[in-house]
Amino acid sequence: MNSIIKIGMISFAHMHAFSYATNLKQISGVEIVGIWDADANRGQTQARHFDTHYFDTIDALLGQGLDAVVICSENANHRQHVEAAAGKVKAILCEKPISTNVADALAMIDRCQATNTRLQIAFPVRFSAPVQDLKRRIERGDLGRVFSVKCTNHGRNPGGWFVDPTLSGGGAVLDHTVHVIDLLRWFWGTEVSEVFAEIGRNSFSNVSPIDDAGLLSFKLANGVYGTLDTSWSRPSSYPTWGDVKIEVLGEKGLVCVDAFAQKLSVSSNQKGNTQWVGWGSDIDYGLVNDFVDMVRSGREPSITGMDGLRAMEVALAAYQAEKQGEPVKLGA
Amino acid sequence: MKKVGILGTGSIANVHLDGWKMLPVEIAAHYDIRPEAAQRAASLYGGVACTDLEDFYQRVDLVDICTPAAVHKDNVLTTAAAGKSMVCEKPLARHLADAQAIVDAVEANGVRLFVAQVVRFFPQFARTKQVIDGGSIGKPGVIRTIRAGSFPRMGGTFTSNFYADFNKSGGVILDVGIHDIDFQRWCCGEVERVFARGLTFAGLNECDHALITLKFASGTIGHVECSWAHPPRNWRTRIEIAGDGGLIEWDAFEDMPLLALMNTNDEIGFSRTTGSPTAAQDNPYYLELKHFLECVEEDKPFLVTPQDGLMAVKISLAAIESLRTGKPVELHSFKG
Repeated sequence: MNSIIKIGMISFAHMHAFSYATNLKQISGVEIVGIWDADANRGQTQARHFDTHYFDTIDALLGQGLDAVVICSENANHRQHVEAAAGKVKAILCEKPISTNVADALAMIDRCQATNTRLQIAFPVRFSAPVQDLKRRIERGDLGRVFSVKCTNHGRNPGGWFVDPTLSGGGAVLDHTVHVIDLLRWFWGTEVSEVFAEIGRNSFSNVSPIDDAGLLSFKLANGVYGTLDTSWSRPSSYPTWGDVKIEVLGEKGLVCVDAFAQKLSVSSNQKGNTQWVGWGSDIDYGLVNDFVDMVRSGREPSITGMDGLRAMEVALAAYQAEKQGEPVKLGA
Repeated sequence: MKKVGILGTGSIANVHLDGWKMLPVEIAAHYDIRPEAAQRAASLYGGVACTDLEDFYQRVDLVDICTPAAVHKDNVLTTAAAGKSMVCEKPLARHLADAQAIVDAVEANGVRLFVAQVVRFFPQFARTKQVIDGGSIGKPGVIRTIRAGSFPRMGGTFTSNFYADFNKSGGVILDVGIHDIDFQRWCCGEVERVFARGLTFAGLNECDHALITLKFASGTIGHVECSWAHPPRNWRTRIEIAGDGGLIEWDAFEDMPLLALMNTNDEIGFSRTTGSPTAAQDNPYYLELKHFLECVEEDKPFLVTPQDGLMAVKISLAAIESLRTGKPVELHSFKG
């Protein structure tokens, strides 16, 4: 007998919340019981859109007998919201990056462990079908000895709280290091052992003195070296928001993935531009479907708080490396 | 009509000679330490195969140095002493001190030297620079290039003696990466810091690869991938420059003005080839020699100066050093 999984949404500060909620509604047996948001106007608007209740306080939402919550507040607020929800729900899906600093991440992981709350971090690119194809080829040994992994996760400056370091914890480097580093850790079950970075501030926009260009050069514990471009470098005139691309070079050949290559090119006189409209399988659906399955089945999360911490650590190490002009070693 | 002499009649010399053939010059003389190579060039392109350097210099007005990097310094110093202006192939030298000696010698002897950094004359690269200079994309923030292929196997014994010998060739960074290092410097200005990871010291046979990060004085960040480790027959070059006002992208893998899909009688059943033809007057090797000739005749500055050649060598050697030590290299204090 399948009971209804009751989910609460905590904050729509991160734009991904909209997609997560939209996809949750596609899954049968899932009910979005309600929304709380520190921005009450935003929360109420979303509650109307998703045909659900708005709660005036986070405790009121958490008192609804929920199975799980989805937390998409500003990065610096993840900790307080996870700590509020831990023990009151069975499971939490928390947007990336897990937090803005190591102490917060450890506190979040510890609190969830102590209250038997399963914590999953939102890394939707794990659910990209082309990315999963690359992972299978790597696991199959198609490439033989892997030499290098050259990566980009380009984007656009999101503005708003993203460029307020007290809320975001950092700019493009923090925002876009974590997705790809999580994928590389997942592909090989390895860790980043060392990272160096060149970072640009105000390279693409004068909105705020935050890092908007980042180029990491790293080594993995398994011997593979690589680079990762995290820059918010797609101009507003570009046909899409950004990309996730990984090129894996090995002794037996080269495998390249472009996670968002499945697109139409749409030229519109009405809009006065050409846009790339994606038709690939929805990675946010993959993520929330996996999360709901985790809640329902009682199993452990596929992406843990520790996964979130390890990815974020690399971003923090990149900032430190650039500051000191020397590579930073990670791990034991 | 000016008389041109070729110093070092190997494989790149043939490419140059095809260009000289189209220009209003007399191909007058050839010299190579392998006399049969000079004779072959003379029989194909005209001119005299010289066995004596003094004889060679007497027969020519301009010299085109097409020898390997390690002997460029000797060739340039001799040519400068003979009072001849010259083209010199890239890399300008194998060692930074040699590059400096070259710069000093041409200055001291009052002769002109053009460094054949041909990528600046490739149409996609030249047009990219034009678009940047026109202001369409604003100030560059991040520049990325790829120059990737398999280990060079043309040329038989020369190849196995030269490219595979790091002491002679400098590996993939000095032989291949230098093209894009020069191009990125042309677009974005002076480099402050270099960091590189790669396979040059991994002890692999006929396999080399590097990922280089560049920090420019302007704040721009550069990424150079150069490779002799990619699968064969799929040579790839790519340009991406993101600025604060826009973005330029070009990828040879997506460049398909000509596509040929042919039935074959083997198991696979088809072959697929692509081409990107351009007209003879746009051949970059022809264009760079035409540029050299015009600038010599009209006393105009070269697009690629001896200092440009030296800086490309310096940044490349700094990348090799970074790869070797695992540490970033600050260019201002790098002595080679």
